[in-house]
Amino acid sequence: MTQIAANNPAPAVTALQDSEWESRLAKIAADPRMSEDNTTLAPGALGGLSKIFAGLGVLGLVVTIIGWFTINPYHALAAYEVGVFTALAMSLGALFFVMVFHSLNAGWSITMRRQFENVAWMLRWVWVMMIPIVIIEIASHGVLFDWLDPHKVESSHLLEVKSAYLNTGFFTIRFLVYGLVWIGLSSLLFAWSRKSDETGDRTLGRKARFWSGFGIPCFALTTAFAAFDFLMSLDYRFFSTMWGVMYFAACALASTAAVTLICSRLLAKGKLTGLVTHEHFHDLGKLMFTFTVFWGYIGFSQYFLIWYSNIPEETAWYVFRQQNGWQWLFAVMCIGHFVVPFLLLIWRKTKRTPALLTFMGVYVLVVTVLDMAWIIRPMAYANDRAGAADPGFASGSVLFDLAGVVGVLGIYGAILAWKIGRSPLLPIKDPMLHESMNHKNYV
Amino acid sequence: MSSMMNDLLSGIADYFPMMMRKPAPRFVTERGNRVYGMVAEFTETPKVFHAAEHVRDAGYTKWDVHTPFPIHDMESAMGIKTTKLPLMAGGAAITGVCVGALLQWGTTAVLFPTVVQGKPFDAWQAFLPVTFELGILFTAFMCIFGMLALNGLPRFHHPLFTHERFCHASNDVFVVAIEAEDPNFDPVKTRALLEEIGGTHITLIEEED
Repeated sequence: MTQIAANNPAPAVTALQDSEWESRLAKIAADPRMSEDNTTLAPGALGGLSKIFAGLGVLGLVVTIIGWFTINPYHALAAYEVGVFTALAMSLGALFFVMVFHSLNAGWSITMRRQFENVAWMLRWVWVMMIPIVIIEIASHGVLFDWLDPHKVESSHLLEVKSAYLNTGFFTIRFLVYGLVWIGLSSLLFAWSRKSDETGDRTLGRKARFWSGFGIPCFALTTAFAAFDFLMSLDYRFFSTMWGVMYFAACALASTAAVTLICSRLLAKGKLTGLVTHEHFHDLGKLMFTFTVFWGYIGFSQYFLIWYSNIPEETAWYVFRQQNGWQWLFAVMCIGHFVVPFLLLIWRKTKRTPALLTFMGVYVLVVTVLDMAWIIRPMAYANDRAGAADPGFASGSVLFDLAGVVGVLGIYGAILAWKIGRSPLLPIKDPMLHESMNHKNYV
Repeated sequence: MSSMMNDLLSGIADYFPMMMRKPAPRFVTERGNRVYGMVAEFTETPKVFHAAEHVRDAGYTKWDVHTPFPIHDMESAMGIKTTKLPLMAGGAAITGVCVGALLQWGTTAVLFPTVVQGKPFDAWQAFLPVTFELGILFTAFMCIFGMLALNGLPRFHHPLFTHERFCHASNDVFVVAIEAEDPNFDPVKTRALLEEIGGTHITLIEEED
């Protein structure tokens, strides 16, 4: 009998015991790299940066408002929107990555996850910056949105048919839903992560993983429909089922660039030493490379199908952007947004050298701004709405375009720099932190 | 250069013994068999890791460590350099892209201009999918066949399999094998080195015809 009992399998141990988690956290806390000096920013350490950003932001927005009165509202609003949708791309992409990291239980990214969370947290301010666009468009019956103008709807059969979706009430409701989903998800994930910093409660990570599974479809739908509402509807005749994916590709790409810049700035400040290493930059670079290729693949697929089928209401969008001085921006999209970063990022050395990857981060953000400009800016003078010819980028009015982008991104950067200093620079009590601290690419 | 040539000839002789003989061996046993190399066994992961570092520092280049499971960072302990395969694959990608672009542009725009859907003869958009696919195809071929050419697989037999204890390398033993082709190989000195770094069951492996 005793022998049979001895051969019985031991009771299954499904999870680590509490004491084992405690000793794991104690081991992490005892690591010299986790010293307070290395993991927290002194108050005001990024204050200088924050002030520069805020100054540029206010200057840019003031110039944009001047542009509103001196040139025309269309140009000024388009320039402002280019900045807002670049900022939205960075924050939405970061929210996506935070949820993917949680749902895949990713270990390598934990030392950088707080920066993704910070960028995602900015969604509330981006949403606030979108409110003026919505109010101005609705109050003035369409500045760039022709479908908000009741006279145009009456005289156009196409707009009448589309008014079931493109109307003021439904648009406002959708905008509120986007805000609810984005701000809700980013606040919850940030709050749980911050709470685990204090309590070390590992069930919070499980909670974040559970809700990320539901968050990702919500993110996908709101991102796609926000892209339809704000970007595709600029030209109400145009439609593309790939549009949501196009904007998602820009989101994921811009957020990797933003986090690369933040991490390299923190490393330059002497923080996160040994916690974010060239191995982490290598993986960030891989993501940047992935989404460069993804953007190119999706962008070409959309263009190619429209070019091949040659249906007027679709081709009009591209034809308009291959004439009137926009053709050079089309070339920048093909070569500057895909070929050049592809050839630069394919080298292992580019991804593993923080300085080189930081350069690529700046480059990617610049081409993302140009991407948004390519989508939004040509519509400012389309359909003769401004009663004048488009001055294009060659004339002095490009300063107003720059001002809109610098204004929005300056305010965005100022708040972000302030936010980064307000919490530890990584989730200090994440139970899997040791995986990220000792992360290495064995290839 | 002559050693590279030797490697190539020896590789061809492995696959096509009817075509050419292997170059003369550096060492033969008393029975006249070619000496493949020398193996030593280890039973602990840290020990075999540090043993590998010692063998690397002794200047050996043609040798290998056989383990039942992957050991992280073993490649740096063995001093293995990054493979040339990515560069070869890159060359293949450029070739594939050029072939794809030239084939389509040459035929539909120059040699036999054909109207398709009223598009221009040399519409670059139409060429891109096939160009892209050929680039991928050539790269994939180079990755697979280049990898096989570099690591010498597949092969029907390996001299190490004549060693009876070698099957333990897939179970509970780590095996360090130094080849006789290595310029540093010496039956006495290599045995001394393997003994010094803690190897057991040190055996000289001979190839059997």
